[in-house]
Amino acid sequence: MKTKRVHSESNIVVRFFSSVKLAIFLFIILALTSIIGTVLPQGESLQFYLEKYGPFYFKIIRTLHLYDTYHAWWYLALMGLFSVNLIVCTIKRLPYTLRLFRRNYLEMGRNDLLRRPFKAQWETAQKTNPVDLQSRLVKTFSGLAGKPEARENVDGGKLYLSDRGKWSYWGVYLIHVSVLVIFAGAILGSFTGFKGRIMLLEGESTDHAVQMDSHGNIKKIPLGFALRCDKFEVDFYPTGAPKLFKSDLAIIDKGKEVVKKSILVNSPLTYKGITFYQSSYQSVPDLKIRIVSSDGKQKVLDLSAFDKGLWPEKKLMVGIIKYLPNVHGAPAARVYVGDPSGSNGDAVWLLEGHDREVSLGDNSFRLSLVSAKEKYMTGLQVKKDPGVWIVWLGCTMMVIGFAIVFWVGHRRLWLWMGKDGEKLHVILAGQTNKNKVSFEREFERVKEAIDKQIGEK
Amino acid sequence: MHLSSSYILSLTTFVYLGATAIYLLYWIFRLEKVGILGTVVTVAGFVMQTAGIALRWRESYLMGYGHAPLSNLYESLVFFSWVTVLVYLVVEFKTKNRVIGAFATPFACLAMAYASFSPNVQDAIQPLIPALQSNWLLAHVITCFLGYASFAVACGFGIMYLIRGDGRGSSYLLDALPSRRTLDELMHQTIIFGFLWLTVGIITGAVWANQAWGTYWSWDPKETWSLITWFVYATALHARFVRGWAGKKIAYLSIIGFVSVIFTYFGVNFLLSGLHSYGSS
Repeated sequence: MKTKRVHSESNIVVRFFSSVKLAIFLFIILALTSIIGTVLPQGESLQFYLEKYGPFYFKIIRTLHLYDTYHAWWYLALMGLFSVNLIVCTIKRLPYTLRLFRRNYLEMGRNDLLRRPFKAQWETAQKTNPVDLQSRLVKTFSGLAGKPEARENVDGGKLYLSDRGKWSYWGVYLIHVSVLVIFAGAILGSFTGFKGRIMLLEGESTDHAVQMDSHGNIKKIPLGFALRCDKFEVDFYPTGAPKLFKSDLAIIDKGKEVVKKSILVNSPLTYKGITFYQSSYQSVPDLKIRIVSSDGKQKVLDLSAFDKGLWPEKKLMVGIIKYLPNVHGAPAARVYVGDPSGSNGDAVWLLEGHDREVSLGDNSFRLSLVSAKEKYMTGLQVKKDPGVWIVWLGCTMMVIGFAIVFWVGHRRLWLWMGKDGEKLHVILAGQTNKNKVSFEREFERVKEAIDKQIGEK
Repeated sequence: MHLSSSYILSLTTFVYLGATAIYLLYWIFRLEKVGILGTVVTVAGFVMQTAGIALRWRESYLMGYGHAPLSNLYESLVFFSWVTVLVYLVVEFKTKNRVIGAFATPFACLAMAYASFSPNVQDAIQPLIPALQSNWLLAHVITCFLGYASFAVACGFGIMYLIRGDGRGSSYLLDALPSRRTLDELMHQTIIFGFLWLTVGIITGAVWANQAWGTYWSWDPKETWSLITWFVYATALHARFVRGWAGKKIAYLSIIGFVSVIFTYFGVNFLLSGLHSYGSS
């Protein structure tokens, strides 16, 4: 066992990567460097750092990628080193754990038992019928410690062993492997998934999400189907705090409406691996403007903010420049009225309930703001992450691993009985690798039960 | 005076203060009856606090909000204090050592004092904003605070370990503390227990974030600090396997770890900004 260890440690590279000291060093370094990104603002423009921290620190920030610390090359390298350390450590410990796991704990002599951390021994008086007592003691032992394995002829007696929780040695492996599984899931997700945004007016639909990269460039990501927002709802508590954000969404795939769902902040919609999350909203005015021409003809235009509408017959364009929901109790809008080229026109204020005359060349028009309603635009976060289930698998493994490490110990209880002349000699021994306090209690229970049996002559 | 939950809860501050004083007296005079009185007072405080939490839960229903009292800084402090006492009572029951109480109840008392009397902490019952309207709120807060409370108790063990020193000096007061080996074992067990719950807390937070925002990890300051705390305790757990690192170094780590917990809990809310802003008022 010793020689084998020396042999495997002779390789200096293996020794470096497999040392617990490296693991501890990495934990400390990762803990310290992780602080940076919580203190230094992340994800701002380079200009921001230059202005705020000056040229010297700016150079450091840019070189070490501190504006996005957790994706910096050196941080990812530390994570990589951490993974290598974890893998090498785990593989290196494997033979040792296998030996612990495979060892037969019945291969013990009487003196070995007396060297266990928990032990008790008895010698019975002569009167007892040893065979009868032995079977009673075994029954007591199995009743409390579970059905034991047995071996004959151990230093002139019979040895019983209750060996429980041996498998708990694998708990640590489950934790270590789970870290790698989580990393794998995160990496898979970052390469095969995407993240984007969608802003949709009530009634509008789209077939793509929008993604903005770090340089501010906008990229369109096709969804492969269409998404429509039928309605958005917002509600507030009397205190003014928001109570509800809700979007009624519909999915249209190949021209057919396949899914309808109302999403809330904590209840997204997933279709074909793409998930839509309620994340924000905007309120957009929806205005109805009636235009009456001097020849008596009229038209009603339906416009939202910054929208423009045409009355082609009269070569007239109306556009919303500004909207105010409340001017002396009524909504008001500043609109452009003129010809579609924009060369001949005028900007005027329209107040609900007050008509306004505008003359353009030979024509004159009477405009009125018939109604102004708030229309909502819902803000959706869009995400596809095929790796997320692997991450959850890793998390589950990790929690199970921790539960095993904390609660399950390798508990061994031995009972040896042998004749010492006419007397019966009984040894009870116990050992555990964790939770000594509760094991001690169990040991005492078995001890008392044996005490009682031997006492009943 | 109307018997409101926050009034009852503010009274528990003094009950826990009393318990701390009694446990200290027990440590000094080592009279069994004083020790039992310490336990009785702590249990009384715990029952009172439980009633206060239950009443607050009911009040939120009467106000028409209807949510578990785990949604803002005040409620989390009360819960932190409650779990700390719970973890301590379990440890006392298991180890039968009451001196530990002198090192655990102060955390519960301080948390309650801060919750009840600091002008920074508002005790009004607030409705849940949409992001918090999730069943994960309960799972996330309960598991995180089981972790935090265990780390508070582990920090108490670390302090006891350092007070006990290298074991050569022996005095009347030191002898009442559990042995260094026992303290080391208790520290290790409590840290694993806390680590388990911190991990579950981080994971439930990730699941929740993924459901609410579509990202299970966004390196928000609170998330990052919980990871930093995780690294500190990972160090403490692995330090056992390095020769010469057991004992004292782990005791220091259990204290540093708790400082990191405190920073994750308060520092992030007050000094840094991020997604977890609802914990700050």
